[in-house]
Amino acid sequence: MIENDPAETRELDEYLEAAVHRLLAEEADLAEQGIDLTRHKNTLILSGEVESDQRREEMIRRVREEFPDVRLLVDIGVTRVQEPTQAEELA
Amino acid sequence: MIRIAAVGDVHLDWDLVGRFRPALEHLPNHADVLLLAGDLTRHGTVSEARSVAAEFGGLQVPVVTVLGNHDYHCDEVPELIAVLEEAGITVLEGASTVVECPGGRLGIAGVKGFGGGFAGRSASEFGEPEMKDFIRTTQAAADRLGTELRELDCDLRIALTHYAPVPDTLAGEPLEIYPFLGSYLLGQAIDSAPTALAIHGHAHKGTERGTTPGGVRVRNVAHPVIKQAYSVFHLPNHH
Repeated sequence: MIENDPAETRELDEYLEAAVHRLLAEEADLAEQGIDLTRHKNTLILSGEVESDQRREEMIRRVREEFPDVRLLVDIGVTRVQEPTQAEELA
Repeated sequence: MIRIAAVGDVHLDWDLVGRFRPALEHLPNHADVLLLAGDLTRHGTVSEARSVAAEFGGLQVPVVTVLGNHDYHCDEVPELIAVLEEAGITVLEGASTVVECPGGRLGIAGVKGFGGGFAGRSASEFGEPEMKDFIRTTQAAADRLGTELRELDCDLRIALTHYAPVPDTLAGEPLEIYPFLGSYLLGQAIDSAPTALAIHGHAHKGTERGTTPGGVRVRNVAHPVIKQAYSVFHLPNHH
Protein backbone atom coordinates (compact mmCIF):
# COMPACT_ATOMS: atom_id res chain seq x y z
CA MET A 1 0.00 0.00 0.00
CA ILE A 2 1.18 3.54 -0.75
CA GLU A 3 2.40 5.08 2.50
CA ASN A 4 3.71 8.34 1.18
CA ASP A 5 2.73 10.11 -2.04
CA PRO A 6 4.37 13.54 -2.20
CA ALA A 7 3.41 15.97 -4.99
CA GLU A 8 7.02 16.28 -6.03
CA THR A 9 9.21 13.23 -5.77
CA ARG A 10 12.98 12.98 -5.86
CA GLU A 11 14.92 10.75 -8.17
CA LEU A 12 15.71 7.40 -6.58
CA ASP A 13 19.31 6.29 -6.89
CA GLU A 14 21.73 3.92 -5.17
CA TYR A 15 22.74 6.53 -2.60
CA LEU A 16 19.15 7.12 -1.56
CA GLU A 17 18.58 3.37 -1.28
CA ALA A 18 21.74 2.97 0.82
CA ALA A 19 20.71 5.86 3.08
CA VAL A 20 17.29 4.31 3.76
CA HIS A 21 18.90 0.94 4.34
CA ARG A 22 21.30 2.40 6.90
CA LEU A 23 18.50 4.28 8.67
CA LEU A 24 16.56 1.04 9.11
CA ALA A 25 19.58 -0.93 10.31
CA GLU A 26 21.43 1.62 12.41
CA GLU A 27 18.73 3.58 14.20
CA ALA A 28 18.62 1.67 17.47
CA ASP A 29 14.84 1.90 17.89
CA LEU A 30 14.37 0.35 14.45
CA ALA A 31 17.36 -2.04 14.12
CA GLU A 32 15.74 -3.75 11.13
CA GLN A 33 18.32 -5.48 8.94
CA GLY A 34 15.97 -7.76 7.05
CA ILE A 35 13.97 -5.28 4.98
CA ASP A 36 14.30 -5.37 1.18
CA LEU A 37 14.36 -2.11 -0.76
CA THR A 38 13.42 -2.02 -4.42
CA ARG A 39 13.47 1.07 -6.65
CA HIS A 40 10.68 0.98 -9.22
CA LYS A 41 10.34 4.15 -11.36
CA ASN A 42 9.68 6.91 -8.81
CA THR A 43 8.60 4.55 -6.03
CA LEU A 44 10.65 2.97 -3.28
CA ILE A 45 9.18 -0.40 -2.26
CA LEU A 46 9.85 -1.70 1.24
CA SER A 47 9.20 -5.42 1.70
CA GLY A 48 9.91 -8.13 4.23
CA GLU A 49 8.74 -9.03 7.71
CA VAL A 50 8.88 -7.44 11.15
CA GLU A 51 7.77 -8.62 14.59
CA SER A 52 4.77 -6.31 15.12
CA ASP A 53 2.40 -3.82 13.46
CA GLN A 54 3.76 -1.15 15.78
CA ARG A 55 7.34 -1.71 14.53
CA ARG A 56 6.17 -1.51 10.93
CA GLU A 57 4.34 1.77 11.62
CA GLU A 58 7.35 3.25 13.40
CA MET A 59 9.62 2.26 10.52
CA ILE A 60 7.31 3.93 7.99
CA ARG A 61 7.04 7.04 10.15
CA ARG A 62 10.81 7.41 10.38
CA VAL A 63 11.40 6.87 6.66
CA ARG A 64 8.71 9.44 5.80
CA GLU A 65 10.22 11.88 8.27
CA GLU A 66 13.77 11.53 6.91
CA PHE A 67 12.82 11.24 3.25
CA PRO A 68 9.60 13.28 2.82
CA ASP A 69 10.00 13.57 -0.95
CA VAL A 70 10.16 9.82 -1.58
CA ARG A 71 7.07 7.99 -2.83
CA LEU A 72 6.82 4.88 -0.62
CA LEU A 73 5.05 1.61 -1.18
CA VAL A 74 5.14 -0.70 1.85
CA ASP A 75 4.59 -4.44 1.65
CA ILE A 76 5.76 -5.60 5.06
CA GLY A 77 4.13 -8.41 6.98
CA VAL A 78 4.28 -9.46 10.62
CA THR A 79 5.98 -12.79 11.31
CA ARG A 80 3.52 -15.37 12.58
CA VAL A 81 3.92 -16.97 16.03
CA GLN A 82 1.58 -19.95 15.94
CA GLU A 83 2.38 -23.25 17.64
CA PRO A 84 4.06 -25.74 15.26
CA THR A 85 1.81 -28.47 13.91
CA GLN A 86 4.57 -30.83 12.77
CA ALA A 87 7.98 -31.94 13.97
CA GLU A 88 10.84 -32.77 11.62
CA GLU A 89 12.03 -36.36 12.09
CA LEU A 90 15.82 -36.47 11.75
CA ALA A 91 16.64 -40.16 11.63
CA MET B 1 14.24 -40.00 20.95
CA ILE B 2 15.16 -36.47 21.99
CA ARG B 3 12.83 -33.61 21.07
CA ILE B 4 14.32 -30.18 20.40
CA ALA B 5 12.47 -26.90 19.91
CA ALA B 6 14.36 -23.97 18.42
CA VAL B 7 13.87 -20.40 17.25
CA GLY B 8 16.21 -17.46 16.68
CA ASP B 9 16.03 -13.74 15.96
CA VAL B 10 12.96 -13.03 18.06
CA HIS B 11 14.20 -9.43 18.64
CA LEU B 12 12.11 -8.92 21.75
CA ASP B 13 11.27 -5.73 23.54
CA TRP B 14 8.36 -4.99 25.86
CA ASP B 15 6.05 -4.32 22.91
CA LEU B 16 6.18 -8.04 22.03
CA VAL B 17 5.89 -9.64 25.46
CA GLY B 18 3.10 -12.21 25.51
CA ARG B 19 3.23 -12.79 21.78
CA PHE B 20 5.06 -16.14 21.97
CA ARG B 21 3.41 -17.17 25.20
CA PRO B 22 0.39 -19.11 23.83
CA ALA B 23 2.70 -21.39 21.83
CA LEU B 24 5.18 -21.63 24.72
CA GLU B 25 2.46 -22.80 27.12
CA HIS B 26 2.31 -26.07 25.17
CA LEU B 27 6.07 -26.44 24.78
CA PRO B 28 6.37 -29.51 27.07
CA ASN B 29 3.98 -31.34 24.72
CA HIS B 30 6.42 -30.79 21.86
CA ALA B 31 9.96 -30.70 23.20
CA ASP B 32 12.44 -31.59 25.96
CA VAL B 33 14.48 -28.40 25.51
CA LEU B 34 14.17 -25.00 23.81
CA LEU B 35 17.18 -23.57 21.99
CA LEU B 36 17.36 -19.85 21.15
CA ALA B 37 19.75 -19.03 18.30
CA GLY B 38 20.66 -15.45 19.28
CA ASP B 39 19.32 -11.97 18.51
CA LEU B 40 17.00 -12.24 21.46
CA THR B 41 16.78 -8.45 21.67
CA ARG B 42 16.42 -5.54 19.28
CA HIS B 43 19.63 -3.74 20.25
CA GLY B 44 20.99 -5.36 23.37
CA THR B 45 19.73 -3.31 26.33
CA VAL B 46 19.15 -4.64 29.83
CA SER B 47 15.50 -3.58 29.58
CA GLU B 48 15.09 -5.69 26.44
CA ALA B 49 16.82 -8.60 28.19
CA ARG B 50 14.19 -8.33 30.94
CA SER B 51 11.49 -8.64 28.29
CA VAL B 52 13.22 -11.82 27.04
CA ALA B 53 13.30 -13.13 30.61
CA ALA B 54 9.57 -12.39 30.95
CA GLU B 55 8.75 -14.21 27.71
CA PHE B 56 11.17 -17.16 27.77
CA GLY B 57 11.85 -17.52 31.51
CA GLY B 58 9.96 -19.87 33.80
CA LEU B 59 9.09 -22.36 31.07
CA GLN B 60 8.60 -26.02 31.93
CA VAL B 61 11.55 -27.13 29.78
CA PRO B 62 15.19 -25.96 29.98
CA VAL B 63 16.03 -22.97 27.76
CA VAL B 64 19.53 -22.67 26.29
CA THR B 65 20.68 -19.72 24.23
CA VAL B 66 23.56 -18.03 22.45
CA LEU B 67 23.63 -14.28 21.85
CA GLY B 68 23.51 -12.62 18.44
CA ASN B 69 24.99 -9.47 16.94
CA HIS B 70 21.95 -7.38 17.95
CA ASP B 71 22.47 -8.41 21.58
CA TYR B 72 25.95 -6.82 21.44
CA HIS B 73 24.92 -3.43 20.04
CA CYS B 74 24.66 -1.46 23.33
CA ASP B 75 27.77 -2.99 24.92
CA GLU B 76 25.76 -4.34 27.85
CA VAL B 77 26.54 -8.02 27.30
CA PRO B 78 27.54 -9.01 30.87
CA GLU B 79 24.46 -7.31 32.32
CA LEU B 80 22.27 -8.88 29.66
CA ILE B 81 23.64 -12.36 30.40
CA ALA B 82 23.04 -11.81 34.13
CA VAL B 83 19.37 -10.95 33.52
CA LEU B 84 18.87 -14.04 31.32
CA GLU B 85 20.63 -16.40 33.72
CA GLU B 86 18.65 -15.04 36.65
CA ALA B 87 15.54 -16.09 34.71
CA GLY B 88 16.94 -19.62 34.44
CA ILE B 89 18.07 -19.32 30.81
CA THR B 90 21.47 -20.91 30.14
CA VAL B 91 23.65 -18.61 28.01
CA LEU B 92 26.46 -20.28 26.07
CA GLU B 93 29.41 -18.33 24.64
CA GLY B 94 32.19 -20.76 23.85
CA ALA B 95 30.74 -23.13 26.40
CA SER B 96 28.56 -26.22 26.61
CA THR B 97 25.90 -27.77 28.77
CA VAL B 98 24.30 -31.19 29.11
CA VAL B 99 20.53 -31.48 29.47
CA GLU B 100 19.07 -34.69 30.88
CA CYS B 101 16.18 -35.61 28.61
CA PRO B 102 13.89 -38.65 28.87
CA GLY B 103 15.49 -39.95 25.66
CA GLY B 104 19.09 -39.42 26.74
CA ARG B 105 21.73 -36.87 27.63
CA LEU B 106 21.73 -33.97 25.18
CA GLY B 107 24.97 -32.01 24.90
CA ILE B 108 24.77 -28.49 23.51
CA ALA B 109 27.87 -26.50 22.55
CA GLY B 110 27.16 -22.85 21.81
CA VAL B 111 28.93 -19.83 20.44
CA LYS B 112 27.69 -16.70 18.70
CA GLY B 113 30.23 -17.16 15.92
CA PHE B 114 31.05 -14.44 13.40
CA GLY B 115 31.38 -13.79 9.68
CA GLY B 116 34.15 -14.22 7.15
CA GLY B 117 32.51 -16.12 4.32
CA PHE B 118 32.67 -19.58 2.90
CA ALA B 119 35.33 -21.85 1.44
CA GLY B 120 37.12 -20.33 -1.53
CA ARG B 121 35.45 -16.96 -0.96
CA SER B 122 36.48 -16.29 2.61
CA ALA B 123 38.29 -13.38 4.21
CA SER B 124 41.90 -14.16 5.15
CA GLU B 125 43.99 -13.34 8.18
CA PHE B 126 46.16 -10.96 6.19
CA GLY B 127 46.75 -7.25 5.76
CA GLU B 128 45.35 -4.52 7.96
CA PRO B 129 44.94 -5.16 11.68
CA GLU B 130 41.17 -4.71 11.33
CA MET B 131 41.05 -7.44 8.69
CA LYS B 132 43.16 -9.79 10.76
CA ASP B 133 41.03 -9.09 13.84
CA PHE B 134 37.92 -9.91 11.85
CA ILE B 135 38.97 -13.38 10.80
CA ARG B 136 40.80 -14.11 14.07
CA THR B 137 37.54 -13.44 15.92
CA THR B 138 35.80 -16.03 13.77
CA GLN B 139 38.66 -18.50 14.07
CA ALA B 140 38.71 -18.19 17.87
CA ALA B 141 34.94 -18.75 18.06
CA ALA B 142 35.16 -21.76 15.75
CA ASP B 143 38.10 -23.24 17.69
CA ARG B 144 36.15 -22.89 20.92
CA LEU B 145 33.05 -24.48 19.38
CA GLY B 146 35.08 -27.43 18.06
CA THR B 147 36.75 -28.01 21.42
CA GLU B 148 33.45 -27.87 23.30
CA LEU B 149 31.78 -30.28 20.87
CA ARG B 150 34.63 -32.78 21.02
CA GLU B 151 34.85 -32.70 24.81
CA LEU B 152 31.12 -33.11 25.50
CA ASP B 153 30.23 -36.27 27.41
CA CYS B 154 26.68 -37.03 26.28
CA ASP B 155 24.49 -39.23 24.07
CA LEU B 156 23.76 -36.62 21.40
CA ARG B 157 25.61 -33.43 20.40
CA ILE B 158 24.12 -30.23 19.06
CA ALA B 159 25.96 -27.12 17.87
CA LEU B 160 24.12 -23.86 18.55
CA THR B 161 25.33 -20.67 16.84
CA HIS B 162 23.91 -17.37 15.68
CA TYR B 163 26.01 -17.07 12.52
CA ALA B 164 25.66 -19.70 9.80
CA PRO B 165 28.17 -22.56 9.43
CA VAL B 166 27.24 -23.33 5.80
CA PRO B 167 26.03 -21.31 2.81
CA ASP B 168 23.14 -23.72 2.08
CA THR B 169 20.82 -22.12 4.64
CA LEU B 170 21.56 -18.62 3.31
CA ALA B 171 19.85 -19.25 -0.03
CA GLY B 172 17.55 -16.27 -0.53
CA GLU B 173 20.00 -13.75 0.92
CA PRO B 174 22.02 -11.56 -1.46
CA LEU B 175 25.29 -13.32 -2.33
CA GLU B 176 27.17 -10.09 -1.62
CA ILE B 177 26.43 -10.28 2.11
CA TYR B 178 27.29 -13.95 2.69
CA PRO B 179 30.61 -13.00 4.36
CA PHE B 180 28.60 -11.09 7.00
CA LEU B 181 26.27 -14.01 7.62
CA GLY B 182 28.62 -16.81 8.55
CA SER B 183 31.83 -18.71 8.07
CA TYR B 184 32.95 -22.13 6.87
CA LEU B 185 35.21 -22.23 9.96
CA LEU B 186 32.11 -22.87 12.08
CA GLY B 187 31.15 -25.74 9.78
CA GLN B 188 34.64 -27.19 10.03
CA ALA B 189 34.40 -27.08 13.83
CA ILE B 190 31.01 -28.81 13.73
CA ASP B 191 32.46 -31.51 11.49
CA SER B 192 35.35 -32.11 13.91
CA ALA B 193 33.00 -33.94 16.30
CA PRO B 194 30.16 -36.45 15.82
CA THR B 195 27.59 -33.65 15.85
CA ALA B 196 23.97 -34.69 15.30
CA LEU B 197 22.50 -31.29 14.36
CA ALA B 198 23.62 -27.67 13.93
CA ILE B 199 21.16 -24.88 14.69
CA HIS B 200 21.68 -21.23 13.71
CA GLY B 201 19.79 -18.01 13.01
CA HIS B 202 20.84 -14.56 11.69
CA ALA B 203 19.83 -15.02 8.05
CA HIS B 204 16.24 -13.71 7.96
CA LYS B 205 15.86 -14.29 4.24
CA GLY B 206 17.63 -17.63 4.13
CA THR B 207 16.17 -21.12 4.00
CA GLU B 208 15.62 -23.80 6.61
CA ARG B 209 17.75 -26.75 5.57
CA GLY B 210 21.38 -27.43 4.78
CA THR B 211 24.21 -29.88 5.42
CA THR B 212 27.86 -29.45 6.33
CA PRO B 213 30.51 -31.03 4.07
CA GLY B 214 30.81 -33.71 6.79
CA GLY B 215 27.10 -34.56 6.55
CA VAL B 216 25.77 -32.81 9.66
CA ARG B 217 22.26 -31.46 9.22
CA VAL B 218 22.04 -27.68 9.57
CA ARG B 219 18.83 -25.81 10.33
CA ASN B 220 18.30 -22.05 10.08
CA VAL B 221 15.65 -21.26 12.70
CA ALA B 222 15.53 -17.47 12.27
CA HIS B 223 11.96 -16.53 13.12
CA PRO B 224 11.16 -14.94 9.72
CA VAL B 225 12.42 -18.16 8.07
CA ILE B 226 10.44 -20.69 10.10
CA LYS B 227 7.34 -18.44 10.33
CA GLN B 228 6.08 -20.08 13.53
CA ALA B 229 6.83 -19.71 17.26
CA TYR B 230 9.48 -22.44 17.13
CA SER B 231 10.44 -25.45 15.05
CA VAL B 232 10.60 -28.96 16.53
CA PHE B 233 13.18 -31.61 15.64
CA HIS B 234 13.07 -35.25 16.71
CA LEU B 235 16.45 -36.98 16.95
CA PRO B 236 17.16 -40.64 17.76
CA ASN B 237 19.67 -40.80 20.62
CA HIS B 238 21.92 -43.40 18.98
CA HIS B 239 23.66 -41.04 16.56
